[in-house]
Parts: sequence; C-alpha cells; structure tokens
Amino acid sequence: MKNQLFPFLATLALLTGCGSADKPREPAQILAQTWPQIEAAGRNQPVSMVMWQGDPLINRYMNTYVKPEVKRRYGIELQLAAGQGAGLVQTLAAEQQAGQPSEADVVWINGETFYQLRQVDALLGPFVEKLPNARLLDLQNPFINTDFQQPVAGMECPWGNVQFTFIYDSARVARPPRSFAELPAFLQAHPGQFTIPNEFTGMTLLKSWMIALSGDPQLFQGKFNEAVYRKWSGALWQVINQNRRYFWKQGQTFPEQLAPLHQLFANGEVAFTFSNNDAEVDNKINQQVFPATARAYVPATGTIQNAHYLGLVRGAQHPEAAMLVINFLISPEAQLRKMDPNVWGDHTVLNLKALPAAQRQAFEQLPSRRYAPRRETIQDLALPEPDPEYMTRLFKDFRTYVIEGTPVPAS
Amino acid sequence: MLSKARPSRLPSPLLSLYGLLVVGLPLAGLAYALLGSVGLAGPLAAGFTGRYWQALGTDTGLLYAALFSGWVAVASVGISIALALLLVLRAQPTLRRWPLPGLLYVPLLLPALVVGFYLFQLLSRTGWLARLCFQLGLIQGPEGFPELVQDAAGLGIIGAQVLLTFPFFTLLFRAIYQESRLEEYRQLTLTLGASPGQFRRRVAGPLLLRRAAPTLLLSFMATLGAYDIPLLLGRPYPQMLSVYLATRLQRFDLRELPAAYLAGFLVALGLLGLVAVLLRLRRQTAVR
Amino acid sequence: MRSYLLIVLLLLLFVLPFGLLGLLAVGEQWRFPAALPPAYSLEAWRSLLAADNDLLLGLGRSLLPAGTVAALATAGGFGLARAITRSRHPARWEAASYLPYALPPVLLAVLIQPFIIRLHLSGSVGGVLVGLLLVALPFATLLLRSFWSGHITEYEQLARTLGCTPRQAWRRVLLPLAWPLLRTTLVQTFLLSWFDFGLTNVLSVGKVRTLTVQVFTYVGEANAQLAAVAALLLVVPPAVLLLLNKSTLLRKP
Repeated sequence: MKNQLFPFLATLALLTGCGSADKPREPAQILAQTWPQIEAAGRNQPVSMVMWQGDPLINRYMNTYVKPEVKRRYGIELQLAAGQGAGLVQTLAAEQQAGQPSEADVVWINGETFYQLRQVDALLGPFVEKLPNARLLDLQNPFINTDFQQPVAGMECPWGNVQFTFIYDSARVARPPRSFAELPAFLQAHPGQFTIPNEFTGMTLLKSWMIALSGDPQLFQGKFNEAVYRKWSGALWQVINQNRRYFWKQGQTFPEQLAPLHQLFANGEVAFTFSNNDAEVDNKINQQVFPATARAYVPATGTIQNAHYLGLVRGAQHPEAAMLVINFLISPEAQLRKMDPNVWGDHTVLNLKALPAAQRQAFEQLPSRRYAPRRETIQDLALPEPDPEYMTRLFKDFRTYVIEGTPVPAS
Repeated sequence: MLSKARPSRLPSPLLSLYGLLVVGLPLAGLAYALLGSVGLAGPLAAGFTGRYWQALGTDTGLLYAALFSGWVAVASVGISIALALLLVLRAQPTLRRWPLPGLLYVPLLLPALVVGFYLFQLLSRTGWLARLCFQLGLIQGPEGFPELVQDAAGLGIIGAQVLLTFPFFTLLFRAIYQESRLEEYRQLTLTLGASPGQFRRRVAGPLLLRRAAPTLLLSFMATLGAYDIPLLLGRPYPQMLSVYLATRLQRFDLRELPAAYLAGFLVALGLLGLVAVLLRLRRQTAVR
Repeated sequence: MRSYLLIVLLLLLFVLPFGLLGLLAVGEQWRFPAALPPAYSLEAWRSLLAADNDLLLGLGRSLLPAGTVAALATAGGFGLARAITRSRHPARWEAASYLPYALPPVLLAVLIQPFIIRLHLSGSVGGVLVGLLLVALPFATLLLRSFWSGHITEYEQLARTLGCTPRQAWRRVLLPLAWPLLRTTLVQTFLLSWFDFGLTNVLSVGKVRTLTVQVFTYVGEANAQLAAVAALLLVVPPAVLLLLNKSTLLRKP
C-alpha cells in the first residue's frame, strides 16, 4: 500500500501547487471604463453564456437571431452553454475558490440563484447603468426592479417578465376553479385531474396558494418572517392533506419535474398543468405539444409575477463583450422579437413610454396571444415574489409534510 | 525514498499512472466531500462545524434511499443475470442465428435517459400500451390500466434497468463462453457421462459467474447509482440514491450544501464498503 | 419452434423502442386513446435543426472524444489488466479499480470539478477526457481482467515454446483470443462517452458541445415529439457506426 500512497501524495502536491495563475481584473477597473471604451474592448471577442436549454423556441431565438446579430454588430462569437441553478453556483464558486478566471461570462438567472451568486460574491457589478439601453428599462416597476424581495441594484440586468398561470384543457374541464378558494371543492368533484410538480413551478403554485390562504399579500413583503411562514404554510399543508386523495394518483406521488407533468397533460392523463410564463400555452399550442383546446388563466386572488435577469460573472474573461451582448438583448429590436408568442412569448422589461412612437407601436401591434390571458387583464392579479427563504422552506416542507406524510407538528 | 532501493517493488509506470487517476482523483473528491461536510470546503464554507454530522440521526431520507436503491439494484441485476444465463446456456444455438448476434448490441445503443422516456411513453396510464388496451376494449379509461411507472415498488425502474443490462450480460457471457472453450468442456463432460443439466449447473454456470463477477459487480454499482431512469420513472419518495443526492446538491438552499456533501460522502463510503465485502466474498468462494 | 418464438420476442423487445420513438417523432397531436397518430409531420425535425444550427458540427465534435476515449480505454485496459494480473497485489489493484464507481456520476462530477479547475483543464476537451477516462478506463480494465486468466498465460507460453516471438504471440494468439471481449469493450466505452452529458457538461462548463450535450436537454422536456427526435439523433449515429462496422464487430473470431 505504501507504493500506492506515493503517487497519491504527488497528486495532492500537484493540486495544491497549482492555482496561482493569472488573476482576473478587479471589477472596479472594468466598470471605470466609458461605454466607447467598453465597446472598443469588447469587439471581436468570444462570449460564453450559460442558460437553460430545454425549449427549442428559446434556443432558436438565441441561435438564429441573437448569435448572428452580435456577430454582425460587434464581431462577437456568442457561445451558448447549458447550465442553471445550484450547479451553476457551484461551478462559479469553485472557479473563484481556485482563483481562476471563469469559463462563463453571462449567466441567465433570477431569484434564489441571484441570491446565492451574491452570497458567494460571484457577480460583477453594478453594471446595468453602464448600458446605453438601460435607460429604456422599466426600472420603476417593482416586478422588475426587485427580484424575490432583493433590490436588483444594477447587479443583474432585467431580460424578461412572466406571470404564473394555470393551464387546463377546456375540452375536458368546462369550468375550472376561478380562485384558490374554489380549488378544494373542484378537486373533490373532479378527482385525479390535478397535481403539484415538486419543483420550481410547483413551488410558485404553493407560494400563490399560501398567499391566497392568508388573504393578505402584504404579510409576505420584506424579509422572511418565521411566524407568518409557520402559520400559513401550516394552513396550506392542512388543506392539501385533507384533499390529498383527490389529487392525481390519489396524492400518493407527485411529478418530480414540470416536463413530465406537461407530458401527462398533453397525453390527457391530467387536466391541469402550470407555467411560470403566462404566454407558454400559446407557445406550446403553436408547437402542437398541447391540444388546441388548452387555455391559461390566473385564478383569484392572483399569482406570482417575476422577472428573469442576465448576470455578469465576476471572473468573466470577456466582461466588455458580455456587456455588449446584454445591451443588445435589452434593445427594443431584440425585446420585440422575443415577446412575439410565435418566437418565444417572453414579456418585455422595457418601459414602452420611453420608446419612440414607432417602436412603441410595434410592441402594441405584436401578434397577440390567442390562448393566454392578455397582460392587461392579469396585471391586477400579480403578486410580488416573496423572499427566497419562503420557497426554500416550502420545498423542504412539501416533501416532509405532504410527500413523505410526516404529521405537521402542532405550533 | 525507501522504494527506490528496491525498484522491483515499484508498480510499473502504466500502473502508477492508472493509480493516480482512479485512486488519486476519487480520493481527492472524497476528501473534498468530507471537508465540505464539516464546513471546511465548498462555496459557503464558514469554518469547522459538527452540526451536519450531529443532525444525521434525525434524517431517515438517506437510509430509505439506500434501502430502495438496494432493492432496485438486487432485483434488476438478479433478473438480468438469470435471463442472460438462460439465453447463453439453454439457447446458445439460437443466439448464433440471424439476427440475434447483431440484435443484442441494439439495447447498448440506448442511453438511460432515452430508455426512461421511451418506457414512460409506453407504460404510463395514457401511454401506448394503455391506448392499445383501450382500443381492444380491455380497459374503460386510463384508470383501468395498471400502474407500471412511478409506482411504489419501482417496477418501471427495474424494467428499464433489465432492458439495458441483460443484453450486455448475454454478450459478456457468450464472449467468456467462447474464450474459455466451454463448448469443448461440454463435449468432454457429456462424453464422460454427465447430463447437460449437470454441465450447466456444475461447470458452465459457476464458471461464467466467476469470470464475469467484476463486471457484474460494476453493473450492480452502476444500478445503485442510476440517475436518469429513476428521475423519470420513479417517485419523489422513496427516491434512489443518485436522485436523492442530486436533489440535495441542487436544493435551493446553499446552506444545505454541507448536508449534501455529507450524504455524498456516506454514500461513497457505503459503496466502498459494499465493494470490499463483495470482493472478499468472491475471493472466499472462488475455487482456485 | 421455440427458437423462433425467442427470436421474435427479442426482436420485438429491442425494435419496439425504435418503432415507438419513430412514431412519436413524426406523429402530431397524438393523445390517449388514439392507437396511432392522427397526423404526421416533420415539423419537430425542422424545428430542432433550426434551433441548433450546428448539429452537424456537434456530430463531429462527439465522434472525436468518444473515439479517443474508446481507443485509449480499451488499449489501456487491456495492458492494465495484464499488468494487474502480474503485479504483486492483483486483488488490491482490482479493488482500486472500483473506486471511481463508489461515487455515483452525479456526485463524481461535482466533487472532481474543483480539482479539474485547479489543473487548468476546466472548459477544455482535456478535462472532459480525464473525466471520461476516469470512468471508462477502470471499466475496460475490469472487463478485460477476465481474459488474463491462468490458461491464457499457458497459451502464451505454449506459443513462445513453439517458436513465436513475443510480437507474434500477441498478434497470432492473444489478440484473436481476446477479440470478442475487446470489441465489446470498445463498443461499451465508446457508447459510455458518446452518451455522457453530466461529466462533459460540468467539466467543460458547457463548452464542449457534443451532439449529446446539444440535444440531451430536449429528451427530458415537455415536448414528446421533439424529445423523440432528440432521442433518435442520439441513437442513430452510433447505430450507423455499428452497422458499418458490423462485419468487423460481428465476425466470428
């Protein structure tokens, strides 16, 4: 065994020895540049952008529109990489601990990923005000300037804005529950048609339901409040557990991911699915994934609306080029195309009033949604995202008190 | 420098390099997980704490995941071995007939995620089989179809693993059968008056199992650590080990990461222990 | 009769996936309780090819690492298996070969990433190769261990006694004997890296965009038609390779 120890020690020595390579530049140094300087430095560089790649429409938008455009305008070679969430945070944190420049320049994030990336200090900024197009952003809008109760503060740039919706098959359900209060009675009358995905979208559903139970969205503003959470999550577990046998598969199991739930919905095994993007139903019917009878709506007393953002990585190797790309992504042209339900259907983050009349008109005349509710009708039903801790706790407790069936301790 | 004096004791350069890769890197990873579990490594490491180790006693999730994975791995590797042995020992002539020699390679072409997706589309209550049953009048609606995926016993997962593993075992056994000249042994034992059944049970079966043991053990461990198939065909509770670990590693709460490292460390330790036990067992039973 | 039944059964079992995936890939609006799709179209193929406009490049990028890993792992594993058999502690080396498998793949990628980063291999093909070899090399070694049993050494010695040079002994005796196992190893290690998503994507930070990395995310997503197309895209290239190599792969030694 001694012999085998030797190469092992050698590796350890090797591993600890490396790592004092070229240090990334200081953020202040990068951000001190003027825009023309940034533009000059960023031209003809490669940019690596990490994003979720599970939707062909989104990938097509990025590959066939954004990529050629940034190449044409700035000579930038945009490289798209698959990654998101905790995996992304761990990669960036590991790079930072090794003291090495990052392999990623731009990251598509929001909510808890933003929170975590700030915790490990992996974001470069504040950079948003540097972007010429930033003046067009609707930064007065609390659904855009605040990400899960965290002020964006220029550390991530808004990219799109979406609202949680119920999607149902109108051929199978004549009258879906119009509010969360009607939901239990509906479940009892239509057993086996409804379930809760045990992931991000499902947690947004639970948050909206919990806020509806409390009757007071104000309670969930600001920092995480243990007493508020205990009280209203307790009420939520109670109502879910009381009606558990009316869920899909008698509530003995729940889908682990949203995609299988969408497939169950498309196959007709359940009558409801959900989306964090209010226009997704159009997008999915256009792709012939959902039946043409699928419809989306927002139940009273409202659902969560949030924005998603673009972050600049602190150790980015091409921060200037990355800023050019982000600036392009929030340009009126790029935002307009992205908002078309036939392209992606992601709502713009621009303040339309700040746009020249012609451009504003182009936004207003976009091919409108056919199956999703119009934005104006659901804006009043929009709830802001609570502190990330609410989701973290709901995720943990949904598993404990519903999936595993541990009794809720009396508080 | 002791070892330099006795160069004959040093492993060959090829072996040393190999050791560096397969021992060095995983051990380094394990050390990282251990340090992570006590708060000394990882993104939010804040200094030594025994908190996560102490909380271990109250967390039964890992134990359930280990038990469930054990059941799935034993069942699917067991069924696969039985099927493969049956094919190689009792249908050897058929295996040589067109199109089987090529056909057995086909399941190797299917990645686990594709098999999971395929079985979901085939076996769910609104899947293709259910549709055929409905058209044939066997069931009145999706509820009439048996629960074959996302079921409590993990039948869907086991089915998928068997589909992936048994053709590989069959190819493996057949290759060993050929290269060990078992056909000649068979002729010999038959001439000596043994029955074909005796040859299969006493000679061929044990020999194939013994020679294939390392690969069978590897398959067993791979099944224990399977991820894509249980993710698509399993339930959120009980989960298989990899799904459990991935859920913990990717939880929304970064502060839970040490607990995830701890779970990972324990799983790796458990698997190592299992390997040690199985290798010892094999050495004891091996007839040399 | 029994043998026909067996052939039909296995044929059904192994060909059905391709049949159903094929139907799903071209079937539109196909829901319960229709036994066959009500309409057919190639829209999903078009949309995938349009969404990832460098799929063909991805194909080339996938063949190179997968081929390299298969060749290195099989050749290395063959030599290593022999070296282990002849070493002073074969049992220890064998046990060590299982070490990478004590870490399930989801864990392995996360835990070795910090070291790959420190070795300046992150984001490169080199890092991906190290990660894949870590899994493929011990696999090949353990698989080929069964070859170097006592009587193979006897064959080798016999060949030498009969006047073969060591090279001739390898070429004329050992390799032909090992060929059935070697080709299984080649195929298995090739497929192992061909289908890898997790290690490749994590260790290259998404930069080594093999075909698998490009379409893998679609397979688990909501669009069943697209998922089927992506699944076929993953499966067909190695299937064609297998067919092309059928004569060498399936020839009797």
